[in-house]
Amino acid sequence: MTELPPTHSQATRAAALAAAYIRYRHGSPGRGLVLRAVHRARRQDIDGVGHKYHLELVLEDIFGKDSTVNCTAEVLYHLGNKISAPDVQFTIEGELKNTDEADNICYNRIKSLKKELEAENIPDSFGNVSPEMEPIRVLAWVASGYVVWQNSTENTKYQLAQIKHVKQVKRSDEYLEFDYTILLHENVSQEIIPWQMTVLWHPQHGVEVTQNSPQPKHALD
Amino acid sequence: MRTLLLLAALVAVAAATENFVGHQVLRIVPGSDEELQKVKELQDLEHLQLDFWLSPRGTGDPIDIRVPFPSLQPLKAHLEANGVPYSIMIEDVQALVDHEQMQMLRRRRFTPRSTDAFDYASYHNLEEIYAFIDLLVAENPNLVSKLEIGQSTENRPIYVLKFSKGGTNRPAIWIDTGIHSREWVTQASGVWFAKKIVQEKDEGLASILDQMDIFLEIVTNPDGFAFTHTSNRLWRKTRSKRSGSFCVGVDPNRNWDAGFGGSGASSNPCSETYHGPSANSEPEVKAIVDFVKSHGNIKAFISIHSYSQLLLYPYGYTTASVPDKEELHQVAKEAVAALSSLYGTQYKYGSIITTIYQASGGTIDWTYNEGIKYSFTFELRDTGRYGFLLPASQIIPTAQETWLALEVIMQHTLDHPY
Repeated sequence: MTELPPTHSQATRAAALAAAYIRYRHGSPGRGLVLRAVHRARRQDIDGVGHKYHLELVLEDIFGKDSTVNCTAEVLYHLGNKISAPDVQFTIEGELKNTDEADNICYNRIKSLKKELEAENIPDSFGNVSPEMEPIRVLAWVASGYVVWQNSTENTKYQLAQIKHVKQVKRSDEYLEFDYTILLHENVSQEIIPWQMTVLWHPQHGVEVTQNSPQPKHALD
Repeated sequence: MRTLLLLAALVAVAAATENFVGHQVLRIVPGSDEELQKVKELQDLEHLQLDFWLSPRGTGDPIDIRVPFPSLQPLKAHLEANGVPYSIMIEDVQALVDHEQMQMLRRRRFTPRSTDAFDYASYHNLEEIYAFIDLLVAENPNLVSKLEIGQSTENRPIYVLKFSKGGTNRPAIWIDTGIHSREWVTQASGVWFAKKIVQEKDEGLASILDQMDIFLEIVTNPDGFAFTHTSNRLWRKTRSKRSGSFCVGVDPNRNWDAGFGGSGASSNPCSETYHGPSANSEPEVKAIVDFVKSHGNIKAFISIHSYSQLLLYPYGYTTASVPDKEELHQVAKEAVAALSSLYGTQYKYGSIITTIYQASGGTIDWTYNEGIKYSFTFELRDTGRYGFLLPASQIIPTAQETWLALEVIMQHTLDHPY
């Protein structure tokens, strides 16, 4: 087991991956968990299996001023890591703030729209997100955690850069469904990668990505 | 005369209008004395509220009349009945006024009349920043000058601001922003830094300027910057084209002559980290290289990027530590502490290769190897929530906190001549 400085690139990449996964598992339009700090990072090389990172992290909820939560996580990148997504295990210390009220308000507002929601470029070039679109944006960010988790390796660090396009899909059941085209920013290669994802959400059932695939880059040049 | 009275009666009830909606401007060129006389008589009819822009003179001289909407029909009927030809010069005066006002507003946005009137809390385009630069120089001729150090691929001038209180070739600090065009908070911060320097309100900066010059390149990649405004907000590279590839641009932070072409850059022209065909192939990079070499007395070099909230020192291209690692690490630690003291923004610091990734052909690796010991790279706000699309409301706080870190580096450079 090697102790890594918390600022080391390997530690920060593993931490970003863990945070993305935790965001996906616990997130909703009313709760957006973001990585605040890495307190400790250790790396374990397991012969024939891969590299396992043991992390002590601090997360915070973007909706709770100064509400941080400690957690521990283990990230296992498999050998020959293109085959499967990394394994992530985590434990959150204490309880997360209840977001039922915020989630229900958001859910009801979207359910009551007369026409299916559709929008582009969130945030816009100037970083603006309208208040009506903020929950849509948080939802994308939570869902992107799944895409990030599925596609991460020891040599990548993904962030959601922008929602290019979002369109609500009509459903006959109680779920809300959105078809997103997002832009992911990969911090090591610096590439901007368009990605399609279909996202299902219900306040009682959480966020689910039912479909996702990388998109061809536009020849904008 | 009777017909004129009738005409006057027709419009007698017309209320005076405050605006010009529906007003037209008619032009009459009298071809005979008779026609001229007919038009002169119109001047006596106050009820028509005719506004002569060009008064009747002689035959052949044009007469222009602004005609309020209620008088239009009666006047035209009268002219036609009397065989006086006319043409419509302006179909709707209000539309013209509105259009002009819009133009004026737009012009006002582009050209604030002083750097005090400039909006530092907004993102600006290239034209606006270049106009700001000229204003700043005009307002502070004894402190600031503008140098053109080269031209971009698309022939845009590349400007550097020189802040100097005198002397000849004094030891200098170099700061650049916007080398990667999508990192908009950096150019915006550069503009704020420029204004901060001329305000000269703090003693620390004053003592630095007493002995050193500051060079500030705000838009280091003007072609890329223009492209982020017109076509692709997330464009990073330059806009150079080469035969044999559809893809455009070279990563200007992989194009320097330090471990050029090694691991940590791509040889694929379509990649965001394409190093280019050769070191300094990009005019934007070569311009700085030429400047640094010919100046010969730059003592600190700070290249500013976003995002990630990091303060980095060399190397990126090799795991070998720089000989001055201990000192640079300590300076970074103090700079980061100063930055955090303002708004609590958390930064990490370390060498490029251990903190983010291996990167070859990078700016500060080259400047360090050239002998500029205090070579640093910043990655400004945030850590990914908005990333490149940082809201404009964060420009000034980012610039303010970053400035504190810059002052630590500049002060250390001043206190440790070499």
